[in-house]
Amino acid sequence: MAAMFSQNPLMNGPNYSFNDSPRTSAPEGAREHRFDPYTDNGGSTLAIAGADFTIMAGDTRLTSGYSINSRHHPKLFKIGGTTADQKDATIVLSVVGFAADGEALKERLDAICKMYRYRHGKPMSVKACAQRLSTILYQKRFFPYYAYAILGGLDEEGKGAVYSYDPVGSYEREQCRAGGAAASLIMPFLDNQVNFKNQYIPNSGEGHALQERERRPLSRNEVEVLVKDAFDGAVERHIEVGDGLQMMVITKDGIEEILMPLKRD
Amino acid sequence: MFMARSEYDRGINTFSPEGRLFQVEYSLEAIKLGSTAIGVATSEGVILGVEKRVTSTLLETSSVEKIVEIDRHIGCAMSGLQADARSMVEHARVECQSHAFNYNEPLRVESCTQAICDLALRFGESADGEESIMSRPFGVALLIAGYDEDGPSLYHAEPSGTFYRYDAKAIGSGSEGAQAELQNEYHKSLSIADAETLVLKTLKQVMEEKLDSKNVQLASVTKERGFRIYTDEEMAAVVERLPTN
Amino acid sequence: MPGFDFSNYNRNAALHARGVPLPKATSTGTTIVGCIYDGGVVIAADTRATSGPIVADKNCEKLHYIAPNIWCAGAGTAADTEFTTALISSQLELHSLSTGRKPRVVTCMTMLKQHLFRYQGYVGAYLVVAGVDPTGTHLFTVHAHGSTDKLPYVTMGSGSLAAMSVFETQWRAQLTRDDAVKLCADAIEAGIWNDLGSGSNVDVAVITPEKTTLMRNYIRPNERTQKLGSYAFPKGTTAVLNEKIIRKEEIGKYVSVLELTEESDDKMEVDT
Repeated sequence: MAAMFSQNPLMNGPNYSFNDSPRTSAPEGAREHRFDPYTDNGGSTLAIAGADFTIMAGDTRLTSGYSINSRHHPKLFKIGGTTADQKDATIVLSVVGFAADGEALKERLDAICKMYRYRHGKPMSVKACAQRLSTILYQKRFFPYYAYAILGGLDEEGKGAVYSYDPVGSYEREQCRAGGAAASLIMPFLDNQVNFKNQYIPNSGEGHALQERERRPLSRNEVEVLVKDAFDGAVERHIEVGDGLQMMVITKDGIEEILMPLKRD
Repeated sequence: MFMARSEYDRGINTFSPEGRLFQVEYSLEAIKLGSTAIGVATSEGVILGVEKRVTSTLLETSSVEKIVEIDRHIGCAMSGLQADARSMVEHARVECQSHAFNYNEPLRVESCTQAICDLALRFGESADGEESIMSRPFGVALLIAGYDEDGPSLYHAEPSGTFYRYDAKAIGSGSEGAQAELQNEYHKSLSIADAETLVLKTLKQVMEEKLDSKNVQLASVTKERGFRIYTDEEMAAVVERLPTN
Repeated sequence: MPGFDFSNYNRNAALHARGVPLPKATSTGTTIVGCIYDGGVVIAADTRATSGPIVADKNCEKLHYIAPNIWCAGAGTAADTEFTTALISSQLELHSLSTGRKPRVVTCMTMLKQHLFRYQGYVGAYLVVAGVDPTGTHLFTVHAHGSTDKLPYVTMGSGSLAAMSVFETQWRAQLTRDDAVKLCADAIEAGIWNDLGSGSNVDVAVITPEKTTLMRNYIRPNERTQKLGSYAFPKGTTAVLNEKIIRKEEIGKYVSVLELTEESDDKMEVDT
């Protein structure tokens, strides 16, 4: 148990470094006032795009420090529906990081989607919503929403679409993405199991000539299994992930929500 | 008591006892003094046409700009006080760019028209601390042509802030005669070329000057090429095609 | 006592000044408790070890042996709890050999606090010391700075508040052995569920004048769930860029080989 994980890239927790060291010489009479408006509420999210569906998932634990503030605090939100219960929504937003900012971001994007429907007489496409989310985030470039967002839905052709963001609005459409505390644990698993990275066809060549395993679209059931296994794995090794798994499956028939238990320790 | 009009047409936002806003009504009159502009929507695209009113042989006709681009997929023709149209077009252009920036998609033609009309009633005395933009209503009407996900469409926007969608619409001094002509000639299966001819033929009938390729201007909005003002050569070719009578 | 080696101190300070982060020690985020009952003392611990937010060990041992009749539950820096208890255990053994008496719990506690006080809190060991000796049953806590407490029930570690909430609502005088074990296990479980630094299983040790019973993994409420998918890869899935086989005969090319014969002189002396 003498293991030291300091150089381990998996460890994304706070790590004391030179930059954080207390300043030894403060100017005479000067007093530093600090404003710490952010908290990391832990948790993890995940999204995978299929041929004609998108699955979004997140755990439901809300933490601060070593405490659990809630065992059921959803990180997935339906966006752009016309009713209070969002039953006709077609887009899902997942947020992880600072829960209050995530919630504020969701409220804002949802309000914008509603205004868009009134103004233009049509629901917003995921593509348009994705761009708008980016501008919302960038507008707060110097006081950012501390939230790692993932947007999921179906594109104009009915194919699964996943857009992932950094807190200041840089975004990209992807096949799959993991976010939050256990992102560094889940993402390599997804690379390997969704995009078949590091998998080659046995005996298809020598060394660099070896043929990569060909990608194929995963079925809904296969993706659900991957999501559950990814989170079960993350729960085992990350203290901020657990309690419940919230999944949303977006298809042309609407959004199906699935809740299942995770380990609670 | 009061003479019907004179007391109520001074205050810009004052209703008359009959419920009329005279300054707005007068602005509609200003358009009737403007040059004629015509728009015709077909299933393939929209054609806009205007007369240029070349008042002097010394006038450089290319400097008369009555058809302008709003975005790649929207253009408009104007009739009335052209200077007023500048600020409306500027507003529409900003609105289109901001939509594309925020949503990564082109603004719909109807939304663009609505955005322009939102400006129309921002005149009059402002309340304390609130700034008003204009002292009077616009004196210009626009024909807004565009192509979006629902296909081609043509809108007419008035200084009163109302707008309607048309298959074919004429505005300006010759609008009454032109609209009657369009009513007779329009049908759903017009091609772009048919529409070009219809627009010029109608303009020719209501213009005081003799129509030639210099004193009229055409523009089109199609799915493939977006908004485009016709070149001198293209204009000449269309004018050439007109039946002589 | 040899003490610590500080020879890398200046080098590390220089590295740190250039932005190299300090190495992070494994910490036993931890819930540990102890409770006296009529006839003995019980101590218990969870089994999670963490490094930042990552679980480093899912089933580590936090109940440390000091003497047959004295055991210690440790929280804080894993290495510090292990080495401190091992060090005191060995000193106590020597002490008991030279005095010819059974070691006493107070002695152990005193040695621990003196050791920890000397290092001014830099040795990050937070301990629950429990045992039975000829003077009776004892239960102490020792903090990293050297302070100690003597109480009928104690908790320590990041889960100490969760665990103490159980003691404060359910503890009573004159507990039976089974009651005490149950109470301690419940207190640890409160830590496991409600403190992120604690998790996995419950270890319990019961010390009586007669014997000590260590119940490793007394409760296992966190068995890993079955994986749903199959993650077996066909042989040859991983790319091999080049391959080189070194045979035993050619090993001399890479290392110096010294042949040993049966009749070698330097045979190890073995008692027969």
